[in-house]
Amino acid sequence: MKRLAILLVLALAGCGGTTGSALVSFTTQVGGPTDAVAPLAFDNSQGFHVSLTRARLRLGAVYLNSSVPTSGSADTSCVLPGIYVAEDFGPLTVDLLSPFLQPLPARGEGTESPATTAEVWLTGGDVNAPSDQTVILDVAGTATKGSASFPFQGTVTISDNRKIPITSAGLPGSNPICKRRIVTPISVNLTPTDGGTLTLRIDPRGIFRSVDFAQITPTQGSPTLQIPDTAVGAGGQLFDGLRSNSGVYQFSWSR
Amino acid sequence: MPAVQNTRPFAVWLVLSTTPLVCVRPASAQTAPAAQSPSPAAQPPSPNAQPPSVQKRVDAVYPTGAQGTATVVLRITVGVDGSVTLPEVVESGGPAFDSAAIAAVQAWTFHPALRDGVPVPAHVRISFHFEPPAVGAPQGAAEPAPPQTQAAEKPGPLKNGGEESIEVIGAARPHAARPPSRGTSDYEIETAQLAEVPRGNASDFLKLAPGILLTNEGGEGHAEQVFLRGFDAREGQDIEFTVDGVPINESGNFHGNGYSDTHFIIPELIESLRVLEGPFDPRQGNYAVAGSADYHLGLADRGLLAKVSDGSYGTRRVFLGYGPPGTTSNTFAAAQIYQTDGYGQNRDGHDASAIAQYEGRAGTNVFRVTAQGYSASFHTAGVLRDDDVASGRVGFYDTYDPRQGEDASRYSIAANLESRAGDIVFDNQVYAIYRPLRLRENFTGFLLDVQEPQQTPHGQRGDLIDLQVTETTAGARGWARWSTPWLDSRQQIEFGYFARHDIASGLQQRIEAATGAPYLTEANLDSQLDDIGLYGDANLRLLPWLAVRGGVRADLFTYNVQNLCAVQSVEHPSPSNPQSDVSCQTQENQGAHREANQSASTASTAAMPRASVIFGPWAGVSFSASVGKGVRSIDPVYVTQDRVTPFASVLAGEVGVTVEEQLSTNVKLLFSSTAFETHVDQDLIFDQTAGRNTLAGATNRLGSANALRIAGRNFDTSLNATFVHATFADTHLLIPYVPDVVLRGDGAVFKEFDWHLGGHALRATLASGVTLVGRRPLPFGVRSDRIFTIDTNFEIGWPVFRAGLAVTNLLNTEYRLGEYNFASDFHSQSEPTLVPVRHFSAGAPRELLFTLTTNFGGAS
Repeated sequence: MKRLAILLVLALAGCGGTTGSALVSFTTQVGGPTDAVAPLAFDNSQGFHVSLTRARLRLGAVYLNSSVPTSGSADTSCVLPGIYVAEDFGPLTVDLLSPFLQPLPARGEGTESPATTAEVWLTGGDVNAPSDQTVILDVAGTATKGSASFPFQGTVTISDNRKIPITSAGLPGSNPICKRRIVTPISVNLTPTDGGTLTLRIDPRGIFRSVDFAQITPTQGSPTLQIPDTAVGAGGQLFDGLRSNSGVYQFSWSR
Repeated sequence: MPAVQNTRPFAVWLVLSTTPLVCVRPASAQTAPAAQSPSPAAQPPSPNAQPPSVQKRVDAVYPTGAQGTATVVLRITVGVDGSVTLPEVVESGGPAFDSAAIAAVQAWTFHPALRDGVPVPAHVRISFHFEPPAVGAPQGAAEPAPPQTQAAEKPGPLKNGGEESIEVIGAARPHAARPPSRGTSDYEIETAQLAEVPRGNASDFLKLAPGILLTNEGGEGHAEQVFLRGFDAREGQDIEFTVDGVPINESGNFHGNGYSDTHFIIPELIESLRVLEGPFDPRQGNYAVAGSADYHLGLADRGLLAKVSDGSYGTRRVFLGYGPPGTTSNTFAAAQIYQTDGYGQNRDGHDASAIAQYEGRAGTNVFRVTAQGYSASFHTAGVLRDDDVASGRVGFYDTYDPRQGEDASRYSIAANLESRAGDIVFDNQVYAIYRPLRLRENFTGFLLDVQEPQQTPHGQRGDLIDLQVTETTAGARGWARWSTPWLDSRQQIEFGYFARHDIASGLQQRIEAATGAPYLTEANLDSQLDDIGLYGDANLRLLPWLAVRGGVRADLFTYNVQNLCAVQSVEHPSPSNPQSDVSCQTQENQGAHREANQSASTASTAAMPRASVIFGPWAGVSFSASVGKGVRSIDPVYVTQDRVTPFASVLAGEVGVTVEEQLSTNVKLLFSSTAFETHVDQDLIFDQTAGRNTLAGATNRLGSANALRIAGRNFDTSLNATFVHATFADTHLLIPYVPDVVLRGDGAVFKEFDWHLGGHALRATLASGVTLVGRRPLPFGVRSDRIFTIDTNFEIGWPVFRAGLAVTNLLNTEYRLGEYNFASDFHSQSEPTLVPVRHFSAGAPRELLFTLTTNFGGAS
């Protein structure tokens, strides 16, 4: 009887049922933390009191993943087809000292599937480009520790300066440059829905968490310290903070 | 045939025409059999006389409610315009049979007789031999009538100063030994006037059967993707395709095991097509999961038939066909050459095909030899992302990758022998096929070439698949059918065999976009595959209105696979253990040497019982119920040493009803309806990233197929509608891509006008085909667009010269022929696109094709 009913319904309606899940389209908006203000004052783990007057980040893309990606870890690929739930693309330069949310230029696409992790792509173009001088992070401010003051500024690029030397001849591709440009895994717990909004708040305090401003070598003739765009010292610490998968990037979903 | 063909109707063997088809004989050479009516006074024909020849023949319909066999001999007059007038019954088979024969012959047309080059009226004598359908359904029953030749009667007198009496020498209809029908879903499709509906290739004829949708993301010459009764049969993997019994499915083809490319079949040569939806006949073998389709080739026109076509987008086609006068339609030679620039980017193509067949007789034996050659080269556009088209980044008919395309060939020879010994009819066939194929497809752009630690750092190099398959097939099949009268009916028992050996070599590589060079070998298999099957089938007519048909088939599948690229990853990379940049390389794994190849052999047997019950307690109405099991052998890539061959099996059942009604003298209706259910234990789902079908779980299908055909003297129309609910067995979710509603209509109207050329009336034909496909379920819970297209063809002329204009996609609808949801990255956005989105392959816009046809020499 049930089968007869299905047949009848099919004949009359022409179709029924679903293949499961759904395709979704959504908006992504990005901004600084809700309490962001310029200048933003905070203390970091190195004992510095930081007053941040400029913090701009160039966002390439965001992805949501259905499973914990191995992407970005030691021995795996940057892209793992099959795990992606949603994506949205920049570029968008975000003022991290403003709580106001800016939308990404295009709508995001994805599927209505639970996402457990997220990726933030800090790219200026091709994620695999060996050399890319696009400024990803541009910061300025003053750090103080005791009576010492460290006015600073700096930019971060992710190019040859971030390349990790090959340590094993048998694994020449274990650390491609693309891994340096992807922040992952960022823990999330959300399910995209059609018409919803993905919100990403980026907290610059986390980026500066481990920066030791005392390591910055003064530039002759300039009172402002230039954070070096290198993999070591304060430049490396800033870059590590930028790539931190906790305490910096906060995702949420609203319908 | 004026009526329909839902089933193999009408056990009428037209006892007509063989060597010579038509002849004028001197009076002294004629001997009139006693049963035949005396002929008029003898008079030698003119030495410059040329007898009429058949231009169009129509089988008679076995009368509803009649019983037994009968022979009806008619004498007709062929007018100067080739039309049939004044049919007279020379030898009666009874009123019902006489009427049926007269109704049929009135639909015949002839090339008129000529005297000194001038058309003259002529007498022609035609015999119809009726065999009863096995049961109430209008099924073709049976064993072939023994080849026979009638002695000619004396030539008739000259009448009215010019009429000649001409004798047609009759013989049994070749291919009379068609298997008995399996019920409502056994569709014997005589193309007849519906061949006028524009059909680009042999697969298009499948649309005359209910529930079939064709799509093609592979382009002009790529095998059509066939959807049948809720099965996504891909390029034939779930349908057993044959042409006059010779297999088309390619075992071991990487792109899909059972890949079936029917483009080598020249459309003009398709006389009929048997589509059996479901695995209900023991003759059906491997791949008959959704069903089977067997093309019967023949060239109805005698003499030289030439067609020249020119149309939109640089499309040109030349067809030449020759049927030696005095031979049956089964003796012919035909060839075509085709080329097109294509309706969008990267859709140009060329192909040529030649098929020749000779049918001869040796005593009571009938033999046929067929040779065929085909070669094609074309480019394909592939799929486009919907978001790219919507944003204007690419055009609707554009392509991402112009290197996509295909080069394909097929060469085959086949020989067939039909013979008889007492009550047993034998049919044996041998064949050999050689089939190289190169296929280049890119579904995903730049997505799959992920950086592996062992590889030299690289970006995405491109996902273009370059597939090379070369397949050589040799095989034989045959059967012996014994028939004997019992229970006042003719009962049949048949035993048959099938044997096939395939040597398949397949190589699949990925091509770097920047250089066009292969950078990765994904698979490299050499396979030797065997399929040997035996079957027994009974056709028992227990009561005049009840028949039971069925039996069992058993197939042994053996595999011997040499995987030349069995190890593709380096277990412990080191300077001494080479990088995996090189595919399929011998490795040193911590001191242990490992060759790159691996052999695997295995075998298994499948037993497939099948049965049908057909009963027709009322005239013109029959019911059927069928159940059967079928199998599909597995892709060699899944073969593991000593593991039982993991073929997929299907269990199917259906009930159906067929109604046949003679609406008037010349109008016949046939309606059929079935409800079916199938269960497949291991289905296949197409994987765009792999570029071929991959294993999925168990699936169920529940649905209904309905067909209506109405034909009359001046029209022929066919409508069919199929509804299906196809789901995965475990989740009950819909199977993606399978259309749950398919509606198709084909119709033709034709009329003759009183404008004559060479004694023939001007004839005009208007034919159309309408397709409506419901919104198909796609992955991720969405549905595709509907497809609605109208194709039409208008042809006008005389037998010796005709002109036609075919218009496909008459409304110029911009439609998506195939739609898919998957992830791809064609570098159309700033960052990699990694989530599933809608893709489609564009259907063709409106295309016009103008064709000139000439036919001459047919009556010589």
